[in-house]
Amino acid sequence: MAERTFEMDLDRLFGEHPVFADAELFAQRVEDRLERGWTFRNLLIGGLGLAGGLVAAIQLMGYGVIPRLEGLSQHYAPNVEVNWTDVTLAHVLPGGLQVNGEILWMSAFMALAAIGFAVARAVRDF
Amino acid sequence: MSDPVRAALHDVELAALAVAGDRQAFGELVRRHGSAVRALLRRMGAAPDLADDLAQDAFLAAFEQITEFRGDGTFQAWVKRIAARAYARRWRRVGRERLIVETPELADGPPPDPGVAIDLDIALASLSEPERLCVSLCYGAGFSHVETAAALDTPLGTVKSHVKRGMDKLRRRLAPTADRLESQAHG
Repeated sequence: MAERTFEMDLDRLFGEHPVFADAELFAQRVEDRLERGWTFRNLLIGGLGLAGGLVAAIQLMGYGVIPRLEGLSQHYAPNVEVNWTDVTLAHVLPGGLQVNGEILWMSAFMALAAIGFAVARAVRDF
Repeated sequence: MSDPVRAALHDVELAALAVAGDRQAFGELVRRHGSAVRALLRRMGAAPDLADDLAQDAFLAAFEQITEFRGDGTFQAWVKRIAARAYARRWRRVGRERLIVETPELADGPPPDPGVAIDLDIALASLSEPERLCVSLCYGAGFSHVETAAALDTPLGTVKSHVKRGMDKLRRRLAPTADRLESQAHG
């Protein structure tokens, strides 16, 4: 009985604790570290998304997708004597812009980068 | 700086906000329970600087795993267990002489009940390192003997011996304080 009482007293004694004078500073340090960690995580996810988009764009270009698509369009529609890219870009891009494969792939790269950032944002928020 | 709106919320509500990524809500939890965690680590035997570093790490770890806090115990008890486990891990890994100080440095500010807090801190300083660690883990962090043995990677019988010897010493040192607590409880 006495043993049990002493244990309860000890629990109570451990429950009592001093309030440190620098408690606010301590909390601020933890918050600062949390903030730094959060910023670093966002940069990391965004960077990985961008790198992923870049790799995807390089892979697409490396495999020569444009010539393949042009080849396909000529194979399956031999009577249509226009290039696939010409048809597409002429309708998408504003007049006066030179339409070529570089613009297409730059656009594709920017789209992939945007998707990367969007995914990063989604991961962060949800 | 503490936000008055968040300061009015219960720990469980703040934890729910922290789950949603509200770092200021978590900061309020740190403000409320930081001293308790730091005091526990010092009572376990950590030097003040190390205790503060470990307490910071414990709160960061708590934020990372905040979804695991379901509110069935108190937030303070939950973070104390995280901090105690971290100290026990370090105690196993690093040379004990670097982690244990002979006499713990008392807090800068005045304790809520100076007599009680100082009595316990002085009494704990009279224990051997393992006794102090085992008693603090069991009564300060709420570990069972089995959990303490696992945390320290020590046989259960050894832990029980340390706790018993430590309790005997504390009983002798704290008898007047315990009597006062009892009389306060009854009076």
